[in-house]
Amino acid sequence: MRTLSRIALVLACLLAGIVALGPILWAASTSFKSANRIFAVPPELLPRSPTLAHYANLIAEGVHWAFLNSFAYAAVAVLAALLFGATAGYALMRYPVAGRPAVLLVFLATMAVPGFAVLLPTQMLAAGIGLQNTWAILPILYAGHILPFTVWVTRSHFATVPRELEQAAEIDGYSRAEAVWRIVLPGAKPALLAAATFGFLHCWNDYVTGSTMVDAPELRTLQVALIFFQGFHGRDWGSLMAGVIIATIPPVVVFLLFRKFLIGGFADGSVKG
Amino acid sequence: MHTIRLATPRGLDVLARQARLVGSSLVAPALLLVIAINILPALYGFYLSLHKVFFFGNEGFVGLANYAALFRDPFAWQAIGRSLLFTFAALAVAVPLALLAAMGISRLGSWGSVLLTVLLVPWAMSPIVVALLWKWILVPSPGGLVGAAFTAFGLPPQDLLTNPLLAMPTLIVVAVWRNFAFATIILIGGLGQIPRDLAKAAAVDGLGAWESFRKITLPLLAPSLLIVISMLTISYFNEVQLIIGLTGAGRFGRPPPWPMRSTTPASSSWTRGAATPSRR
Repeated sequence: MRTLSRIALVLACLLAGIVALGPILWAASTSFKSANRIFAVPPELLPRSPTLAHYANLIAEGVHWAFLNSFAYAAVAVLAALLFGATAGYALMRYPVAGRPAVLLVFLATMAVPGFAVLLPTQMLAAGIGLQNTWAILPILYAGHILPFTVWVTRSHFATVPRELEQAAEIDGYSRAEAVWRIVLPGAKPALLAAATFGFLHCWNDYVTGSTMVDAPELRTLQVALIFFQGFHGRDWGSLMAGVIIATIPPVVVFLLFRKFLIGGFADGSVKG
Repeated sequence: MHTIRLATPRGLDVLARQARLVGSSLVAPALLLVIAINILPALYGFYLSLHKVFFFGNEGFVGLANYAALFRDPFAWQAIGRSLLFTFAALAVAVPLALLAAMGISRLGSWGSVLLTVLLVPWAMSPIVVALLWKWILVPSPGGLVGAAFTAFGLPPQDLLTNPLLAMPTLIVVAVWRNFAFATIILIGGLGQIPRDLAKAAAVDGLGAWESFRKITLPLLAPSLLIVISMLTISYFNEVQLIIGLTGAGRFGRPPPWPMRSTTPASSSWTRGAATPSRR
């Protein structure tokens, strides 16, 4: 009876794994099939004569520039959010701050603002100050989107670094800034990595903000470029799946590398508040 | 080095003021950015919602007329209804699934964390990319994955995304596939906080597995379940990218679920003023 339920559990896990990864593996397989085998009946699970033609096709269409754009936007936004978010998180933990409850409420409440709901007024404001359709608009908006979470996660983690540790460093002759840099930040590494990972996933995975704020092809994000690509080559499933794969690799790699911190960060942020 | 000051009341006052100045200026950049990017547009949207706005031209204050127009529009009500249906149906599938996964994973030990990682991979993907991927899986041809399944049962391949009856369940399946595992994280945390002795004591007292689940696990898990339900409700109600990607924004003559209305002002007859109330 015990072995039987054990076997059932293992089978259920295998099934769950197949359901989760199967679609992605199927897309990967399609992306390597030659054009005339993509619609083969019955479907071929593995490409019989693998080809990189679809990936070459994406490069010929300039999709790799959009890939780099997405990467640059995300990197700038994440670094800015870490810089401003961690300083704010630290100050909220260790310093008296004017209007502290209201400030905390702003960071908490804005985490719940759905991006698309403020999309049109944001677009109109951005157009009004001449930022729409520039390289700067997406990093700025993304940084604003991920800042509240960054503040929240770093703040609750700074609380776990004992104040006495900092004071000891100050007594040893470090300035307060040095003490923060050498003692507090290394201690808060899990929170910083959790915030960075979450931030990167948010920026990289965005579509609606990228598609409304930026028009010029050379400023497009990867997600927007793929939808445009689909518009022109709607039936070219091989190239589209190649696009799906290159759009999926960065967030999945980042997630796999930092999953420990991300999962811990979410558990902390949501349960301990 | 810090200079040591005498702790006179005036000295303390100065110190406190200095500390407050430093603290506030450390918070200021983040606070200003968040207000400018998340709050200002929301207020501007509210301001616009009280005005007649045609493309970018503001044609004057109209009070609540935009809201009245919105609530007179039968499409708006249908869209709200569809959003609620989508949200609650997806919740009804995702929460039990996440609970099942959490209980399985916490019983698996170290293999459990491997399974959790695998289940979370779709969650790390971009929703619009998930939509592209599933469009290919659902492609109505014997060469597609779902099409082949239909063919195997001797049926002609169906286009699930344009079928009026099946489009919604299909969207729900894809939405749940993408992010139910995220809820599992929190439920695993909640399960870990339930003392193991409790289940053992229940077993000694002769409680069956189902009763022990119903009388011990479920009540003690309630706080985590509440978090999960509220997070998923927000996430599903705000689902835009997946639905745009899969249905092409109301391609089949029926308007898309509610959140999407604000992203498709050009394709609807709505002016911008009327589109902004969807914030609420």
